[in-house]
Amino acid sequence: MPWGDPDIQGIWTSATLTTLDRPDELEDLVLTEEQVRFLEQYGEDMLKSIDDLPEGDLTAGEDVGGYNAAWLDPGTRVLRVNGEPRSSIIVEPEDGHVPYTLWGRGRFYWQGYTFIARHDNPEERPLGERCTVGFGSTGGPPMLPVLYNNNYQFVQTKDVILILVEMNHDVRTVRMGGKPLPKAVRPWLGDSLGHWEGDTLVVRTTGFHLQQNLRAAIKHQFYMTEDSVVEERFTRTSKGELLYQFSVTDESIYTQTWRGEMTLRSGEGPIYEYACHEGNYAIKNILAGARQEEKE
Amino acid sequence: MNLIRLIAVLCLTIPAFALAGYEPPRTADGKPDFTGVWQVLNTANDSLEAHTGRAAQVMREGPVVPVPVKALVALGAVGAVPPSLGVVEGEAIPYKPEALAKREENRKNWITADPEVRCYLPGIPRATYMPHPFQIAHNKDALMFSYSYAGAVRNVALSDPGPAPIDSWMGLSWARWEGDTLVIETTGMHDQTWLDRSGNYHSDKLKVTERYTRTSEHTIDYSATLEDDEVFTRPWTISMPLYKRIETDAQMLRFSCVEYVEEMMYGHLRKEPLD
Repeated sequence: MPWGDPDIQGIWTSATLTTLDRPDELEDLVLTEEQVRFLEQYGEDMLKSIDDLPEGDLTAGEDVGGYNAAWLDPGTRVLRVNGEPRSSIIVEPEDGHVPYTLWGRGRFYWQGYTFIARHDNPEERPLGERCTVGFGSTGGPPMLPVLYNNNYQFVQTKDVILILVEMNHDVRTVRMGGKPLPKAVRPWLGDSLGHWEGDTLVVRTTGFHLQQNLRAAIKHQFYMTEDSVVEERFTRTSKGELLYQFSVTDESIYTQTWRGEMTLRSGEGPIYEYACHEGNYAIKNILAGARQEEKE
Repeated sequence: MNLIRLIAVLCLTIPAFALAGYEPPRTADGKPDFTGVWQVLNTANDSLEAHTGRAAQVMREGPVVPVPVKALVALGAVGAVPPSLGVVEGEAIPYKPEALAKREENRKNWITADPEVRCYLPGIPRATYMPHPFQIAHNKDALMFSYSYAGAVRNVALSDPGPAPIDSWMGLSWARWEGDTLVIETTGMHDQTWLDRSGNYHSDKLKVTERYTRTSEHTIDYSATLEDDEVFTRPWTISMPLYKRIETDAQMLRFSCVEYVEEMMYGHLRKEPLD
């Protein structure tokens, strides 16, 4: 940038077929080209099959399916980092899974159970359903790919870097210096402080909103606490690519710090408005449906 | 005649000289840099028009004078509306007669009808004069407005993007320069947003032209002209200063109100609704 900082401004997309955790069928972090071909073909076939509904009317009570493929953007390629095809975003620990302690795993499962099974109150529903933030960990940090709207826009100034997360028009404000927020202040997406290390933007985030602990979407599910510490490293490796590395540390629920790597690719703009709460019929209908079910 | 013309020219150029006294920080292409956390110091969000103080945003007939509607009584002085000179140039908003009737209806139904009560996105220009700060990140290649209220955001194009592909809450904005004044045109807003808590509204034909001029290290001269043939008889303008937040470690905290309205919007759908 004109004031001397590296330029990472622009629109970046993280859509990829590769998931946070390594699928059970895959052992190594690095995929063979044969595995890549298989996975990308499988992804393409899955997306096509979504629109293949049976002819005629469905009988009442039958699953009508979800979105048509046009609304989805789950990625068409496996993640490549420095050209290397990857089986998971997690690179450490080696098995490609979040390293919970027994206590941490217990909290993860309990919160997961609540989100799936409980419909008594709006606050028990996942954050994406409530429109407080986007699905899963799309806004993060760490910012992870979900089923659609995997776009981000970075705007840089010397003192602050704004990261617009397409879903749900969430803006991460990365302050370049200054003091951490008092513990009593806990924003959604946490409190982010950044600095430059050579050509790398390093962002440290903690102090999360008390309810932003389970990050659950179709493409990833994991648990963090309000005091977990996320360090992100953004390094521009070419005109069209941004290396995104992150680590998550929390001794209260993990046996070790875990790390992930992704490549963000430059995207076409502009990003249009993703309004969620304003048209949120889902949360109302989920709760109303549960009340109706209790009556019957 | 020539003398009058000369005086007129002098009068018109004096404000320009006054402004020229302040040299704003500039982006790499030499344009004023609007980066910072800004906020209004007024109550335009209560009502754009001049108004005297009143006990509540919505009143009902009382035995002697009007009193607050039942839902607002408990708020006491906190729910009262302070007086204001207003921010509309020429005092009253030039509504068409039938549109004025709709405004009065809106005003009566404020509690259930104002999108702000439900934490909906504010639209333009209301986002500017909400009683919350907003942050501008600006450089040669980008201009983004991040608002505290509802976490609203406006990504401003730096060339004309043409008509909006679809109407939205915050619309489609693009910026151009008139000298050192940043001019932002916004269209493509649907008719669901309001202009204040007093029922002032617009249709989906609304075009807003905002002007931002840096007048000192800590101030911006702001105006917005609203054009909407369906609702107003002519274009009209609001104007006000914007002030920079200058306290130590000044920053914008987001007013994430979606979670604050869940009890109001969904409380009746709980398994065991509260009293």
